[in-house]
Amino acid sequence: MKLAKKECVVMLLAGGQGSRLGALTTKIAKPSVPFGGKYRIIDFALSNCVNSGLDTIGVLTQYQPLILNSYIGDGKSWDLDRMYGGIQILPPYQRVGDSEWYLGTANSIFQNTNFIDQYSPEYVLILSGDHIYKMDYSLMIDFHKRMDADCTISVIDVPIKEASRFGILSSDDSGRIIDFEEKPKRPKSTQASMGIYVFKWNKLKKYLEIDDKNPDSSNDFGKDVIPLMLRSNEKLYAYKFKGYWKDVGTIDSLWQANMDLLGENGFELSEDWIIYSRHAEKPPHYVGKNALINNSLVSEGAVILGNVENSVIFSGVVIEENALVKDSVIMADVKINKNCIINYSIIDEMVTIGANLKIGKPKGENSEITVIPRESVINKMQEE
Amino acid sequence: MNALGIIFSDMQDWSMTELASHRSVAAIPFGGRYRLIDFPLSNMVNSGINKIYLITSSNYRSLMEHVGSGKDWDLSRKKGGILMIPPYSAGENHGLYKGRLDALKRVLDYIKFSKRNYVVLSDSDMIYDINYNKVIQYHEEKNSDITAVYIKTDINKSDSIHKILYEFDEDGRADDILVYPVTSGNYNIGLNTWVMNKEFLESLIYDAIARNYKDFSFDVLSARVHSLRIYGYEYTGFFAHIDSLQSYYENSMKLLNMDTLQNIFYSNTGPIYTKTKDTAPAKYCKDAVVKNSLIANGCIIEGTVENSILFRDVRVGKNAVVKNSIIMQHGRISDNAKLDYIITDTYTFVNKDRVLLGYSNCPFFIKKNSVV
Repeated sequence: MKLAKKECVVMLLAGGQGSRLGALTTKIAKPSVPFGGKYRIIDFALSNCVNSGLDTIGVLTQYQPLILNSYIGDGKSWDLDRMYGGIQILPPYQRVGDSEWYLGTANSIFQNTNFIDQYSPEYVLILSGDHIYKMDYSLMIDFHKRMDADCTISVIDVPIKEASRFGILSSDDSGRIIDFEEKPKRPKSTQASMGIYVFKWNKLKKYLEIDDKNPDSSNDFGKDVIPLMLRSNEKLYAYKFKGYWKDVGTIDSLWQANMDLLGENGFELSEDWIIYSRHAEKPPHYVGKNALINNSLVSEGAVILGNVENSVIFSGVVIEENALVKDSVIMADVKINKNCIINYSIIDEMVTIGANLKIGKPKGENSEITVIPRESVINKMQEE
Repeated sequence: MNALGIIFSDMQDWSMTELASHRSVAAIPFGGRYRLIDFPLSNMVNSGINKIYLITSSNYRSLMEHVGSGKDWDLSRKKGGILMIPPYSAGENHGLYKGRLDALKRVLDYIKFSKRNYVVLSDSDMIYDINYNKVIQYHEEKNSDITAVYIKTDINKSDSIHKILYEFDEDGRADDILVYPVTSGNYNIGLNTWVMNKEFLESLIYDAIARNYKDFSFDVLSARVHSLRIYGYEYTGFFAHIDSLQSYYENSMKLLNMDTLQNIFYSNTGPIYTKTKDTAPAKYCKDAVVKNSLIANGCIIEGTVENSILFRDVRVGKNAVVKNSIIMQHGRISDNAKLDYIITDTYTFVNKDRVLLGYSNCPFFIKKNSVV
């Protein structure tokens, strides 16, 4: 069946394991890791889409998709329960002749060629579900059209020291990309790819087919498809993005991105670019008579009777009297009993910390973030 | 469930001028992020009632905006759902609804169309937490015409004038019903919630048309207490009746008790649903001091807040002090302002250095959109 034409279809890569997030992703995929008091990481990409007027989104899942599937539901939390388009979850599926898991980012799109073709789009926007940022994709698509580009890559300026962690590209004055290297040892510029690509769909389709026939390819956008298009002299442009953008692929960066929500110089969640999410139905949070909360974010349904400093507290968290939570991220429905001291930790959902315990070491130059996995019950002091 | 829900948004025979001057009673903001309608609506949805008529007479725009398609209560559905029924002029029926019975007469067609066997009628000015299935079960057991939900509690003369009092015989059947009396003591107070068989309600309405009855409380309950089998179902949980600014204030402040909070919002019946606004979690700045308060999402607090309720998206500036107050959504309290025993309606702006004082039994009310 041919569906109503859509100018641009969004494909959101959400299948990665996110192994660098360790215990936080043993049971859930990285995009569904909780963030910022009431969100999950994927809310940022989804809300950016909706706020940019994009309403046809395929979410590619592979690793531990259950929580992500039920979280997304029919998409109504993001206004994506639409007559045409809307949000669809795309796991790998069996076909006549061949069936395999998604082998790489490019392969996952290739396997869903038919999905995209249903909407006969001019453009395809590829996103990853593991970044925290606010971005109007419609401006990038406008740029793509203006340049008559075959592929536009969104880039952000990064410090030269960190450049080797990213895909680094160089462009001429018009923005046309002349060089692209994935995680170079000696970066030639500080323009890092944000993993956000706009393609002309007919061009992308052609290169995905070529890439699929190449047995040596790792079927990855950054490693294979983009370099191939560059070699073939296609028109690739860099779109410069200014603003907050954080890859939350590691425990440290996830912690830091949460902390960036506090104070005034980080990342502001504001009414002019709403981040939508699916919520639990909970009343406003209650702050007790002896509670003290400083420089923190607290969400609905929390009950704070103790002390909270420089922390992000999710919905439904209970912090009992005389407990202290400092420099930490406490995810939904965690219970912290009396007289506990929590320092520099990320505590995943539904954990119970028994009374009088100390978790984590105070934040300092040599201390590391302590991570308590989902649904743990901790009643004894952990070994040093 | 095999019941039709009918909620009256503003059938009170008195007015709460301050809070309901530009909205129906059902749309009065309560508890930091809710409106009064959320309580009966959630009770019904949690009891499995998924077909609801919301009968609203006037000032219903904010209520319409709040309820919308009903999807926040899971009521946007093909089978069932919520229907708002404002007055509609046709033939001899014109103007606003003149009481519950008049409203029921004028929505008779909709009641007849419904294929459900029972009807649950509720007002919107009472907060309580009940499973209507149990009331219906009791209604069947007693084979009653009307089952009224009541609570046994102490009242004084100023409370009693907005309440319906029931007296029951040993079997639980009403033998006297007093509507809006002036009295004090321990009484069975109606929660303005009634269960009937749908066919019986239809016959009541036909009768009301024939006799030109308009008032459900006087013309049906009180006048026909001996000819009808009216039974009482006792409710024993948290109960609040919002019938004046003072009772609004007092009942709001009860939410600062953890047990009350628990009883209302985390009961076995289910959560209280409301329209979601997708505001960010509340932000506490470096010098914030907050004690014994209920804080909704979207608030940004730089000053001091004590014994207060802040609705969504309220700002409290540096060195500002908000005590014993209720600040409804989008309120702005600027730097150095001091508020004690104040209720500000939505979108209120309090300028720098202002000092506003009320008193515990006379909280000072500031109208919607005011700039102080």
